[in-house]
Amino acid sequence: MSDSRDELAAVPDVISGGGEDFSAFAVSRWPGLVRLAFGLTGDRWAAEDLAQATLARAYVAWRRVSRAHDPDAYLRRILVNTSNRRFRRHRVAEQPGDPPETAVDGHADLVGERASLLAALRQLPARQRAVVLLRYWEDLTDAQIAAALGCSPGTVRSQLSRALAKLRESPVLGEGDER
Amino acid sequence: MTPDAGLRQRLGGLLREIEPPPAPLETIVRRGRGIRLRRAGGAAGALALAGIVAAATVLASPAAPGEPGLPVTVPASGTAGPDGVFASGSVNGHAWRLGVQNIADPGYRCIPAITVNGTDADPVDPAPGNYATVALGPAYPGIGFAFVQVRGDVGRLVLDGRQGLPATAVTACGEHYRLVGFAYRLARPPQITAVSAGPGGRAGYQLPLVSAKPPAGTGQTDGMWNNVGPTSGETASGVLASGRTGSIRLLLDAAGDCYEFSSAASAGSPEMGACGPISTPDGPETIMALPLSYPPAKITGPTGYALQVSPATAHLSALLSDGSTQLVTPRVVDGRKYAAFAVPASLKLECLTWLDATGAEIASTFDVPQTGYTQFQP
Repeated sequence: MSDSRDELAAVPDVISGGGEDFSAFAVSRWPGLVRLAFGLTGDRWAAEDLAQATLARAYVAWRRVSRAHDPDAYLRRILVNTSNRRFRRHRVAEQPGDPPETAVDGHADLVGERASLLAALRQLPARQRAVVLLRYWEDLTDAQIAAALGCSPGTVRSQLSRALAKLRESPVLGEGDER
Repeated sequence: MTPDAGLRQRLGGLLREIEPPPAPLETIVRRGRGIRLRRAGGAAGALALAGIVAAATVLASPAAPGEPGLPVTVPASGTAGPDGVFASGSVNGHAWRLGVQNIADPGYRCIPAITVNGTDADPVDPAPGNYATVALGPAYPGIGFAFVQVRGDVGRLVLDGRQGLPATAVTACGEHYRLVGFAYRLARPPQITAVSAGPGGRAGYQLPLVSAKPPAGTGQTDGMWNNVGPTSGETASGVLASGRTGSIRLLLDAAGDCYEFSSAASAGSPEMGACGPISTPDGPETIMALPLSYPPAKITGPTGYALQVSPATAHLSALLSDGSTQLVTPRVVDGRKYAAFAVPASLKLECLTWLDATGAEIASTFDVPQTGYTQFQP
């Protein structure tokens, strides 16, 4: 009788609840969320939007988030879930993104390599992309990644294995890995 | 360099190049408030899946140890009477009853809903398998109520492997339902097993149910049903108020009476949303406050108010902190009458007065929320 909605608690509870400071939490997590979201989406604007949506959901569930044993794990799960929902909705329209503008500055090879990495990431299914980012960017364990994705550690390992196999098909990555 | 190290280094190089702008705190908070507060079907889905496993466990082990279930009385005929009551009982000296009743105002399209003691309604989902729980707070401390809409081939539910509760046929608004209801201790929700209909009912028919706990990740709010079953669409929706300050929209469905408040600056995008218990025409009215202010982020804004009012209410008078009053004319949305208005950021709502068609006072209360909701019986 209701939809996926949620992880969510009541906003009025949030406003009146506890002495935790959502503002400080949001400000401190924002850069990391944007970067992880960029890895997931490959698009700077979409990354900021995804990070905003993630923190908005954390705001609504703040009482629960602030009391969580590991609020960052909670946040990662919201981010990945939100990203997956968007991916399902917009997968037809997905296009490879651009590397960050700040990477240009005369480093053509570097920019080309990063564009290739982005393109390779974009070719992965959403869950595999998330596994790669959570492992190699966030340095999470199988169990932590499983918690973020809502799957078993075994699934994490199999998804990671498949993702790495696909990434190695990328000329740039394959070459780099052999260096 | 190992493949792992190479990928880690390249990802690091790619993502560290990103220089995020300052966190847009105000936008985040506004978006948070625009998220409609509904309960977790996603969590419910996981719960349902877990339930299949759990049900098998219940079958493998007979009666669970512990306290006996709370006694439930069901119609002996197997059919609910005109009052729609399909389960009743008494806990801690307080009688309770679960029934199906029409929650639309008289003269409008019938809207069937499950109620506890005639209040705190939950629209009946036409899909069998619907399952919902509610707690009524101080009125019944530590006690929850649950109903399950069962399929035609289910004869009864068994709680904790020992308390059998037959399904009762209920007809409401021209629709037929088969329902099982019970009360339970919130601290020890029962395991539920469905048993097939017919002689010697085959035990072990599995319903995707595991317990009467609220879905994972959601808190159980007094008077708000936590629905676990598949969802139907909105029962009703409509704009309750609009003007220079903004607009307040209603969405009535299994999640409750949900309101969205969009300020004039938000270009129609909801900035604050909240759901409250569904009132019945004769029951207590849920007064919902939707503040756009958020002091920690130094955000100030108006506060929206919305409530479902009894059929006799012709106007609602809102007394504000500067002594001025707003006279609000209720609007009917799909057979239910609602009133909504906004209080400017610089003022507070002090008092609400219900007026009938002659202008006579029906009721009045100073117990008005500044955030969240309260219930008031006019």
